[in-house]
Formats: sequence, C-alpha cells, structure tokens
Amino acid sequence: MSAPTSQQVLDVLGHIKDPDLGRDVVSLGMIKELDVSAEGKVTFTFELTTPACPVRDRFKSQAEDAVGELPGVTGVEVRMTANVRPAFMRPKPSEILPGVKQTIAVASGKGGVGKSTVAVNLAAALRKSGASVGLLDADIYGPSVPVMTGSKVVPRQSNGRLLPIDAHGMKLMSFGHINPGDEPTIYRGPMVGKAIEAMMVQVDWGRLDYLVIDLPPGTGDASLTLAQAVPLTGVAIVCTPQDVATDIAVKALQMFRKLNVTPLGLIENMSWYVCPSCGHRHEIFSHGGAESAAKRLGVPFLGAIPLEESIREDADAGTPVVISRPESAGAKAFVEIASQVAARTSIQSFRQLPVINVH
Amino acid sequence: MEITWEDGSKSTYTGEQLRWACPCAECRGEAGMQGRLARVQTLSPAELRVRDVTLVGQYALQIAFESGHATGIYTFSLLKRLMA
Repeated sequence: MSAPTSQQVLDVLGHIKDPDLGRDVVSLGMIKELDVSAEGKVTFTFELTTPACPVRDRFKSQAEDAVGELPGVTGVEVRMTANVRPAFMRPKPSEILPGVKQTIAVASGKGGVGKSTVAVNLAAALRKSGASVGLLDADIYGPSVPVMTGSKVVPRQSNGRLLPIDAHGMKLMSFGHINPGDEPTIYRGPMVGKAIEAMMVQVDWGRLDYLVIDLPPGTGDASLTLAQAVPLTGVAIVCTPQDVATDIAVKALQMFRKLNVTPLGLIENMSWYVCPSCGHRHEIFSHGGAESAAKRLGVPFLGAIPLEESIREDADAGTPVVISRPESAGAKAFVEIASQVAARTSIQSFRQLPVINVH
Repeated sequence: MEITWEDGSKSTYTGEQLRWACPCAECRGEAGMQGRLARVQTLSPAELRVRDVTLVGQYALQIAFESGHATGIYTFSLLKRLMA
C-alpha cells in the first residue's frame, strides 16, 4: 500500500478542533514541518499557542490516532512545541513593553484575598510549563513580591535602565526592590501612576511570553494607569468565596470591562481548608461564591485554590508553592488555573483591536 | 480619520466632527461650569485639523489637533455613538 499524501494527512488533522479557539488546528497554523516518507512514516510538529496548554496531551493522542488510522501509514511521530503568539495580531510591537507578547493583570478590587500569592504562583506555573515569564508588582504601597520570591535585592542598572531581578527563572520588578527595607512609599495618586509607568518603561524586560502584573486593590490610579499605558491581554480576578469579597471583585471586573480589557475569568482563593488533625474539609470563607459570580457575569470560572498552611509558609520563605511542593493540592490548583489562564490568553491572540488611519 | 472596527466595519470621521465632540473637561465643562465648546461659535482651522492619534490602552483614542489641543480621550463607545 502506498503512503498517503501530505494533503490527506492535513485533511484528517483538520478534524481536530481547538476547544478554546473554536477552530481546527490546521487552519490555526499549528501543524508544521509535515513530512511523509515513502515508507509511510509521518512526522510533524504540533505547535501550541502556549506551553501551558490544558489539552496538550489530548491533542497529541488525537493527532497520533487520526494519522495512524490513515491507510498506508506505518508510523507517526508528533513533536509537541509551543510558541506564544503576541496579543491582538499587532502589526507592530507596542512602544511600551515591545518584547512582551502577552500582559496578564491579576486584580481583585478587595485587598487581602491573595492576589500576590496567586500572581506569584501563576507566574511560576507558567514558567514551569516552559514559557519565559516576568512578574511586575504594581502594588506601590504594599509590595509583596520580593518576600514571596525570596528576592530582596536592589536591582542593577545598565545603560540607564533597571535590570529585572532574576528569581526562580522569572524576571521580577517591584517597588519593594527599588525602595527596600522598612521605608514606606508615601505617594499621592498621580505619583503611583508614574511609578507604575516607570516600572514598565525604565525596566529592561527583554523578550517575554507572559508578563504577569500584580495589581494593588482598588479600582483607581494603579489599574487605570495600567489599562491606559498598555493593551492588556486580559485580567484575572481573584476573590475569596464570601459575599463581601465577590461583591468587590465584581466591581473590579466591571471596571476592566469598561476599559475594554477582557476578563480572563474569576479565581476563588481560600476556597476550602483540610484540617491536618481531623482531616475534615472546612469552608471557612464559604464556597463557590466566585463560580456563581462568574456565571452571573458570563465570564469563565478559572478554578479554586485551597487554604493551606504550606502556601503561606513557602510564600514567607520565598519560594512559590508550585515550585517547592508541586504535589500539594494548592500547587496543583495553581498549575491547573495557570493552564486555564494561558488558554484564555491564547484566544486573545486572535482578536484584533480597531485599526486607525489618519489621512 | 478612519477606524476599522474589530468586526471589519469602517467608520470615517472629519477633524471638525471630532473636535466638536471632544470629551475633555475644558471643552465639556465640569462641576456645573459650562465648557468651552458651549461658549464658542466657531473654531479656527488649526483647531479642526487632526495632527496625531494615539491608542489609549485598548478602550480609547487620544486625538491631538494642530492647535495643540490633545486632552480629549475618545472612548471607542463614544466614537461608535458619533456614527449612530
């Protein structure tokens, strides 16, 4: 029996649909370097839009099965790779953060719900998946990233620009690096905006697949500056399950909607607690609040994270739990959420912003 | 100025139309005070010519006119309303 043609291989692969992008993987340009040998051995590269792809393994087996069933095929070799695409099919890179493909903001509206913990672990999980990742701590008054990443050092300068701090394979910048120690940053609103802008413009971020931005609470200066300065790919909203947190999270989400920033979805933090002595599951802050809020607002629910002592311990010790205890329930939840965030982010790569022409 | 929207449809605006629609506080007025556009009858040609347009995040345009006036942030929803 003779080997199939490349077109026949592409035809069967064209039946594999990307669940998030809603199109087949061939027309999305994910199949590359396809080769069919005279003996019927088929090799090709399957290029995902993110290394944190939640359906990576499913795609691989679907591709192997579909091609393997073709008459004349004697073997299938699929190389899985990933190439994060820049947001919004931009014709040219934006002037601010030119080397950054995707910017993901983490916000909550309300304080104390674990934004920074989520942002740090989200960034670390994306890094673990193989992406190049930066983390910008936009909380000028209460920077938490230096402690949580064990990176309490002062950034070095090169050619008049600050170099991000390297920790856990990520590039970091926080006002806690710039203004360390017990010294508070006593700024009025407009200064906060300037400080955040400086952390984008005057820091040499280089090339990044994802820049995760940890926002302070509130729906004012910091969030506005950010939404005006860069085309954010999207925003992930963190809340705890109780009403007082979800109500404020909804306000934050609606603010970003007004600024045309896509909500990537809601994350429920401190969702449950398993008592180490009795093994019982307690829902201290209630449970499911974020999921029902997400449903009400028509945005994705990205997942729930348990309340675990180890998450706090490792944050204080300076290593994100996804790195220090990857087998813990908390770490697994973060990794799963990071995949969901990456998938939602990929969808934005195929969205186009309005194009303006002046004659 | 021409905008091609996300859905592929196009809108065309004249500088004059945009200048008279400027949403900034000086032009619109604030705190009960009348804005400049409510007080003047005519604007000079330099005020009506668009010099530069910058994208603000992904929700608005900042339009600069030849006269130097550039404080208006035109949200996409405002620009769509102007066409309706």
